[in-house]
Amino acid sequence: MYWLEKNQLEQLVKKLAKDYRIFGPRRDEVSGEVIFDWLENLSDLDLQASIPYNPPKFILFPHFEEILKYRYDHRSKKAVIERINLLEPKALVGIRACDLTGLLCLDRFFLGQEFVDEVYLEHRKKLFIISNTCVRPFPQCFCVCTDSGPGAKEGYDLDLTFTGEGYIVNCGSKKGQKLAEELGLKEAGPEASELRQKIIDDSISSFDRFALENKAWISRATNRLTTGFIKPEVWEYIGNQCFECGACSFVCPTCSCFNIEDVNSKTGDTYRVRTWDSCSFEGYTKMAGDHNPRKPVEDRRNKRFFCKLSYSQSKKYLRPGCVGCGRCARVCPGDIGLPNVVTYIRREITEG
Amino acid sequence: MPYLRGLCNFCGTGCGHFLRVENNRVRGVYPLPGHPLSKGRLCVRGWHIHELLQTEERITQPQIKYGDRFKRVSLEEAISFVAEKLKSISGQEIAFLGSPRASNEDNYLFGKFARAVMKSNNLSLSSDAGQEESAITLLQGAGWPAMLGSMERLRQADFILVVGGDLTKQNPIIASEIHYAHRAGAELVTISARKTQMAKLSQIHLRPEPGTASRLLEAMAKVLVDEGRIAADFISRYTEGSEKFLKYLESLSLQEIAHLTGVEIELIRTVALKMAEAESAYAFYATGIQSLDHRTMAALFNLYLLAGKLGRPDCGINPVTGISNLLGSYDMGVSPAFLPGYFSVEDKAAWKRLEEHWQIKLNPIPGKSVSACLSDDSSCRVLFVVDHDEEIIRNVKKIKELDLVVYFGAYENAFARLANVIFPLTTYVESDGTYTNCERRVQLSQKKVEPPAESRPLWEILTLMAKALGHNWTYRSAEEVMTEINRVVPQYAGITYGKLRTGWGLKWPCDEQHPSGTDSLLAEEMSRRFCFILNQDEKLAFLPRLQEKDQYPLKLVVGRSNYFWHQNSIMKKTFIPKREYNALLLLYPKGFVEISEEEARRLGLREKQQVRVVSEAAEIKLAVRISPDILPGMLYIPYFIDEMIPEFLHRQVADLEKNEEFFLPVRLEKVE
Ligand code: SF4
Ligand code: SF4
Ligand code: SF4
Repeated sequence: MYWLEKNQLEQLVKKLAKDYRIFGPRRDEVSGEVIFDWLENLSDLDLQASIPYNPPKFILFPHFEEILKYRYDHRSKKAVIERINLLEPKALVGIRACDLTGLLCLDRFFLGQEFVDEVYLEHRKKLFIISNTCVRPFPQCFCVCTDSGPGAKEGYDLDLTFTGEGYIVNCGSKKGQKLAEELGLKEAGPEASELRQKIIDDSISSFDRFALENKAWISRATNRLTTGFIKPEVWEYIGNQCFECGACSFVCPTCSCFNIEDVNSKTGDTYRVRTWDSCSFEGYTKMAGDHNPRKPVEDRRNKRFFCKLSYSQSKKYLRPGCVGCGRCARVCPGDIGLPNVVTYIRREITEG
Repeated sequence: MPYLRGLCNFCGTGCGHFLRVENNRVRGVYPLPGHPLSKGRLCVRGWHIHELLQTEERITQPQIKYGDRFKRVSLEEAISFVAEKLKSISGQEIAFLGSPRASNEDNYLFGKFARAVMKSNNLSLSSDAGQEESAITLLQGAGWPAMLGSMERLRQADFILVVGGDLTKQNPIIASEIHYAHRAGAELVTISARKTQMAKLSQIHLRPEPGTASRLLEAMAKVLVDEGRIAADFISRYTEGSEKFLKYLESLSLQEIAHLTGVEIELIRTVALKMAEAESAYAFYATGIQSLDHRTMAALFNLYLLAGKLGRPDCGINPVTGISNLLGSYDMGVSPAFLPGYFSVEDKAAWKRLEEHWQIKLNPIPGKSVSACLSDDSSCRVLFVVDHDEEIIRNVKKIKELDLVVYFGAYENAFARLANVIFPLTTYVESDGTYTNCERRVQLSQKKVEPPAESRPLWEILTLMAKALGHNWTYRSAEEVMTEINRVVPQYAGITYGKLRTGWGLKWPCDEQHPSGTDSLLAEEMSRRFCFILNQDEKLAFLPRLQEKDQYPLKLVVGRSNYFWHQNSIMKKTFIPKREYNALLLLYPKGFVEISEEEARRLGLREKQQVRVVSEAAEIKLAVRISPDILPGMLYIPYFIDEMIPEFLHRQVADLEKNEEFFLPVRLEKVE
């Protein structure tokens, strides 16, 4: 462990910027809201800012990405395929624990199954990750219920915890260790580790005071979802409020649905494009039938929450699919983000 | 490049977003949390606007058609070609079809080009009947042509009434605000024949027979009188015409209306009283396609006026525009009825004022809408068209006979193929411009990517063309056009790019009295009184209920869908919304007609069975889709299945587009 003085942060980022494109939280100048973004201007980095409105997912899994290019040669009757080399090294500076947990879920989806997704792997290989402990939760957070924060446990190269004066630095990889050494950071003893734990404990005990938007009691809802004892009326109630916008998937750090399209360009090349997709769309889950036009929306809602919370899905990710960031609640036109749905399910449990 | 702040340009909600730009291409979109209306939400269309913005289906070259073939030409060549032809054309011989998607600056100069350069007042949008009706009705009643209330106070509302078309589909984020207000405690009531999602979100759903919503609203007004719940003080202080209106109400019978509409008296009473009791009450309806007819708008206005729910900061009637800059296009006078700033074309002083501003003699004889020019056997020989949205092109034969059709557009479009000259436009992220959402909020969209080499903003092409015709136009930027709008359009007097760059837009009127815009219409600030609107056409007074023994016993209503509402050609350039459209069509490849469960049982029809829908004028074969959402006696065809429109609805399409109250009497026949 090391100590990082406040004024050394700039040095760290500058050094990193020599080899990596820097992404991190910045405030929008008009709204004051925080987004995780490419920092053209390194001084825009704001580690004190609240949890960003967007997860860093787009850096590894962009909203819209050309993944290969091909051209059909009519004479030789062959397609010439070209991989698009888009991939420069990137550093995520100040990723929150929930979002880092989300990224690890994406890893399991894209890399941990039978087929490794090579495009994702390319992005992932060249990544430097610096996590940032939430010394105080934000209103929409419930990572304590989903075991994904407020401090990062794994997956980082460096982890920062703000003490009020400076940062405690934890190294999680050789890359991280090397950078800390090169910067000549001051080594810290066991007291740093104790202090970090205390900061995290304080943060956890302050959820009651600060994380006021949601009281998501995930575990009981998980139980219900897994056993399937949820009345159809509850799903119908939820389904009626869904505007089918897809936002809940797009903003979720762990949602990984995608769509593939081939786009013909005017030059004769065809681009294969990968875009975000959502299980809330009818076309995504289209099955034959459609005999009851009322049902599908509810089923699709049901499916997403099943994916986020049920045991069987958790086994796939080795954890619940929800990391407690609260974003889906903020972007939902129907006011049925995950925390609200959990509330409806709990209400059903208590009402019998 | 990082995420850049901007606004969605699909519908009249005008949601805030971030666009992600990489290597001069828009690669993603994300909602903008601080935006005062959208508050970090987008609908399915907004979440895919980047797919449209990077489509390969762009118009990128000026072109002139020789014979059947388009030849690429330089901008100068295209301009002098058109200018040469225009020299011998009179104002009567040319018509101008504007775009509700183009910026205020573009629309303003388009109107000025028509009126000042070509001396033509044949200037309109393509699908604006509902918006024009709404502006006229509200001007008549309140002297104020757009949203009377404020969206920003909606979440504190006690009562919200939504009349007609499904806002969850047309303006999802407005509907979401209504839904959040409801969740925060407002009573939510929907009036629509079809069980829309809006209706499902409401506590009370009133389902009048198609064509009778106005009567239902009048009955509610009568209840207020009967129960002594009218706002007497407010009425005497701020309104005129109440005596006549009260007298009209006396002539109504609640029993008769209940019978006519199919809504029980008790329910009518309950809703009317809830509205009257509410401290803060709002009403919403959609304009553009699927709007209300004048009579229903007037009935709604009169009802709210009678209850004293207008002219206060926490009340209002809020018309909602379906297309991004539909309101702004009207503000700029792209209409046969209004000059810029809603001065009537009948108003001589207004013409004089405009002549002084523009320093040119104008032709004050009112013009016609473009569709009137094309359908009448008129003298029209030349047509200017900007960014035509629809796949549905009417009057094709007439258009082909014209001497010259000039098309301005950013995206490839079936209409362009009918043109003789094509000019490539920039998209709204390739040039600066302001757009006015349904809240009257003028927002600035700043340039974020470089346009294709030959593409230009409309204002720039028009400036060059005016110069070629000997007019001394000197505009060098959209911002400069706005400084002229400041002088000509009183509502926009105080709207500057400087203010717009650093904020969330300004709601007009924005002038000396209201330098930071105006939230809602306040009775104390009005220079006139509210008027009850009393021009009900007596012939309409009693719409006969369709009889089952009639030859055409069913009412066919046409509606819009999420993905394909009235801008098919645009949505078809995206991936996900396009797929969603196709998903529905896969199940019903030739389209479908919705029918209620009861009606299906009565007629012995199964899901997906082929039927013939027969009207007096025509017939069409469709698959049955049994839906719990419609009333017995009603049929519903989503408007987006445009393939059927030329075939079947062609003759009625002008009426269908007018308003949601319109229905077509039909019968169903089994196809054996
Ligand atoms: S389900 Fe919602 S709260 Fe959970 S991780 Fe996804 S976006 Fe965050
Ligand atoms: S964000 Fe809400 S409205 Fe949108 S798809 Fe998800 S649950 Fe439905
Ligand atoms: S509601 Fe309208 S403005 Fe908002 S995201 Fe949807 S289409 Fe765009």
